[in-house]
Amino acid sequence: MKIHYMTGIGALFVVAVHIMMRLVMPYNLSLEYENVIANYHNLPYAVLLESILVLIAIHGFNGLRIILLELRQSKNWEDFVTILTIAGMMGIIGYGTRTIIVASGLSLG
Amino acid sequence: MEKASSPSSSPPAAGDRNNREGIIGWLNPGRYGWERVAYWLQRLTGVGLLAYFIGHIYETSNLTQGFDAWNTMLELTQTPMGHMILLLVIGMSTFHSANGIRLVFTHGGKGVGSPGRPDYPYDAASLNYRQKSGIWIALILAAVAMLYGASVLFGGE
Repeated sequence: MKIHYMTGIGALFVVAVHIMMRLVMPYNLSLEYENVIANYHNLPYAVLLESILVLIAIHGFNGLRIILLELRQSKNWEDFVTILTIAGMMGIIGYGTRTIIVASGLSLG
Repeated sequence: MEKASSPSSSPPAAGDRNNREGIIGWLNPGRYGWERVAYWLQRLTGVGLLAYFIGHIYETSNLTQGFDAWNTMLELTQTPMGHMILLLVIGMSTFHSANGIRLVFTHGGKGVGSPGRPDYPYDAASLNYRQKSGIWIALILAAVAMLYGASVLFGGE
């Protein structure tokens, strides 16, 4: 549970910054393509987004794992849930990281 | 029902019990205490936020496909229904965060008081005014956050 609590508290701070970025200018203006791309080109903000991605992915899928393990306990079920949650975490982190890398202009080719 | 502490009482025979409600009894929210409500809300908001998170990662990936794809996505999400969903997400995330902080303290033993002997009607010793206050604060913060979110999303700020 320590991982769950630490990622949750960490995510709280970084998500707060992420939300505030939408409020530094009129909301609709903050969602314009050029403004969003400018956010991604800002390296500290791109690092912030990556940290949000990792922290929320771990916290969310670990939470799902906790719920599923409360429902049922057997060796096969627990192995299935562990594999499912790790695969889910890796999938979402991989897909989100690709977005951040491409949008920030650090193209891999 | 006689108090369990009475020396002359004896437990009712199995056939005399009328608590054979099964799953329906388990799901009946009429007997839920505040901690049970908070338990369910924490899990429901968590699953809801996970679903939103996955959708959000997918919708923001449209940025990599250029200006037109991004604007097409905005047309889909920047609608009254999209704003309503976002309001729900604001409420869910605020409650989940505030209640989660309460749970971190509870898990560490802060705010649960001292254990007591379980006498009828078996009120949970841990459900004291601190826990109830924490749950209410989480609910109130979620409502305030939703009001502020509505002013931003629907107020044209």
